[in-house]
Amino acid sequence: MYRYDEFDRDFVTGRVDQFRDQVARRLTGELAEDAFKPLRLMNGVYLQLHAYMLRVAIPYGTLSSRQMRRLAYIARVYDKGYGHFTTRQNIQFNWPALIDTPRILEELAQVEMHAIQTSGNCIRNVTADHFAGAAADEVADPRPYAEILRQWSSLHPEFSFLPRKFKIAVTGAERDRAAIQVHDIGLHLKRGQDGSLGFAVHVGGGQGRTPMVAKKIRDFLPEQHLLSYVTAIMRVYNLHGRRDNKYKARIKILVHETGADELARQVEAEWEALRDGELRLPASDIEAIRTYFAPPALPDRAEGWAVLAVQKRDDPAFAAWVNRNVTPHRHPDYACVTISLKPIGGIPGDATDDQMEAVADIAERLAFDEIRVTHEQNLVLPHVALADLKAVYDALVPHDLATANAGLVTDIIACPGLDYCALANARSIPVAQQLSQRFADAARQEEIGELKIKISGCINACGHHHVGHIGILGVEKKGEELYQITLGGSGDETTSIGEIIGPGFGPDTIVDAVETLVDAYLSLRLSRDETFLAAVRRLGLAPFRAALYESAKEAA
Amino acid sequence: MATKKDGAKVLTANRLTDGIAVWLGAGGAWVEHLDGAFIARHAEAGAAPEETAPRAPAHNLVLDIAGVDIEERDGRPYPLRLRERIRAEGPTVRRDLGKQAQDRAAMAA
Amino acid sequence: MSLFAAAEPRLWRENGFVDDDPWMIVEEAQGALPEHAVLPLAGLLARISAGEALPQRLGVRLVADDDVSALAPHLGVVSLVALTFRAFNDGRAFSQASLLRERHGYGGDIRAIGDVLIDQVALMLRCGVTSVLVSHPPTIRRLAEGRIGGIDQRYQPSAAPDAAHGSYSWRRRAVA
Repeated sequence: MYRYDEFDRDFVTGRVDQFRDQVARRLTGELAEDAFKPLRLMNGVYLQLHAYMLRVAIPYGTLSSRQMRRLAYIARVYDKGYGHFTTRQNIQFNWPALIDTPRILEELAQVEMHAIQTSGNCIRNVTADHFAGAAADEVADPRPYAEILRQWSSLHPEFSFLPRKFKIAVTGAERDRAAIQVHDIGLHLKRGQDGSLGFAVHVGGGQGRTPMVAKKIRDFLPEQHLLSYVTAIMRVYNLHGRRDNKYKARIKILVHETGADELARQVEAEWEALRDGELRLPASDIEAIRTYFAPPALPDRAEGWAVLAVQKRDDPAFAAWVNRNVTPHRHPDYACVTISLKPIGGIPGDATDDQMEAVADIAERLAFDEIRVTHEQNLVLPHVALADLKAVYDALVPHDLATANAGLVTDIIACPGLDYCALANARSIPVAQQLSQRFADAARQEEIGELKIKISGCINACGHHHVGHIGILGVEKKGEELYQITLGGSGDETTSIGEIIGPGFGPDTIVDAVETLVDAYLSLRLSRDETFLAAVRRLGLAPFRAALYESAKEAA
Repeated sequence: MATKKDGAKVLTANRLTDGIAVWLGAGGAWVEHLDGAFIARHAEAGAAPEETAPRAPAHNLVLDIAGVDIEERDGRPYPLRLRERIRAEGPTVRRDLGKQAQDRAAMAA
Repeated sequence: MSLFAAAEPRLWRENGFVDDDPWMIVEEAQGALPEHAVLPLAGLLARISAGEALPQRLGVRLVADDDVSALAPHLGVVSLVALTFRAFNDGRAFSQASLLRERHGYGGDIRAIGDVLIDQVALMLRCGVTSVLVSHPPTIRRLAEGRIGGIDQRYQPSAAPDAAHGSYSWRRRAVA
């Protein structure tokens, strides 16, 4: 993984000094809130319902055990003993004091972390496939390019006051585990006809009030043109994105209102003037960054195959966890482990400082010191020998980190919602907890199979409900919480926006409603092999709508 | 459900130094618990609560000052919006955190 | 707003404050223009297409949604371009300045007017701004102290001159 050099360290230190000075001027009143707000947002400091919130960047979701330990320390010393992993692979602390934030940023800088540009109308954390560098199906690791974009976008003088936030995601496989089609720019790393590396470029995806699937504006962009082409997109957006209406200010609206073809033409025209200039990436630079992401030396551990089989036979709970939370690796003796942060009845994505320390220890001892954060609010150990899976599992169990539910109905994605967030209209976490408890039975979960429920507490869609197989949007109606259900969304390579099924449900009936839909699926599916999403796509909403609303009529 | 017609309000804000939710108290200071808030009643000659409230102290202690519609229950302010009720107590999913936990600790003491 | 009332606007360049600045913003007016008039873009373009005589020393003022490419063919007649930075969060003028320098090769003064705060001055300078009109007293104070507050390490090239860093091609550092 990337390691700071002196330039990076000096930059981050300079940035902390800047922010410390800005906070000091805010506290004396020399800087008023309206001028301070964009500055604190650019350092990830939000004001929420109960307190400030600090969003720390975890670039493309990759971190070391040392960094995880520092996050645990910050949770313990400056917060209330926990953090929340987000749908953009970052971590949020819910209770920092503004006066402590410069000191917190200093602590983060010591372990090569920061909160730069995790908020505000600027380029945000560049996210990537959480199995990058390990997945068996990967063409190439997308993270070197995410790192190049991260550097280039840091404190970019031309693009620090965009019409709105800007999110970029990169994936390196045909299976899209980074949801690139619902990002402002989605980059799909692939090989050209001559075997060289480059990107399909998608623009204008996004969720929120007007969810849209991105449009592909270029089939293949050679890798050396990454920065010049992205600059062209950013400049067109900065100049022409709407600034009159906060809800129409993302690039997706510009693409929609301009037309994808015309927008592509404008981008290509701007790019023509940039493509052979100083933003062109020398192959040596790409190689140098790529070197940081070379996989660890993975010794053959062929004994793992036999050992694992015996261990699974002897421990059914372990077997269930292996079958559910362990994914094939490029190296046959290894696997990727998903650490579920969705214990039954728990708060999705939350981790205590003790849990963070435990994960750090396991990563250091058994997983080549590398941890990932997924956009579905779980953690991943990308490199674990099959022979070591049992040791990893045994170490996770006492910390409530071994729930065998990756991708199942209780692996719920939920934003913080009205319990924490000043933007929310309804609570999302209690709905997630109740759903988790309703479907707790392990056998039932396996019977249902893959089902992604995503819950947002407001239209901003931080819970990514638009791309949930079942999406739940909390709204406020006549002072009460109401939950709207959508079906058939997906954030993978077959991205689709979920469709609203009908009138909403109150807090007391939403869980029953979801259960009704799940039962309908079980009765309608062709076989166990047909997932919930596939069944919805095959059947459309009509039979689900009937099950949900006509059974209510019968009961009345 | 009571509506805004009642007109009773309290004034809320977030404290600058730590972002904690506070309410304007009868003495003119910003207090950490809703029960200590000064209630501006509709009866006060139709003036806006911001005007009838005791004069807020020196600038720059708080930000995002806003009125909150309440009704009085047993002499205590009850915010009409769920959002403000949650803000007054703490996350409903972590009853061990926030003002609700302080209240309980204080009661136990 | 800030606790402090706005002061008289002062003009600042990297080598210090300027107290005898001759430039004057004029709204559209009929007849001959004085030297050092700064016209709105539409007004300038109208005068040019009407073939009217122009002062030797002429400036133009752009608002945030003006298209720099409309001005580009006429940059030879202006020695000042004033760009309007609005409301601490409208970033269009940063792109306008960058394009004037990098795309159209403009070598005259680019002046930031509007809402100018110390925390943006460093970014404005990197985009090719060469003078700044400031009303905010704490900003004036900081500029007087020479504390622009930028960071020497830059992760991207920009319109203003930088020193190459000697590592990755996209990195720069401040000129010493």
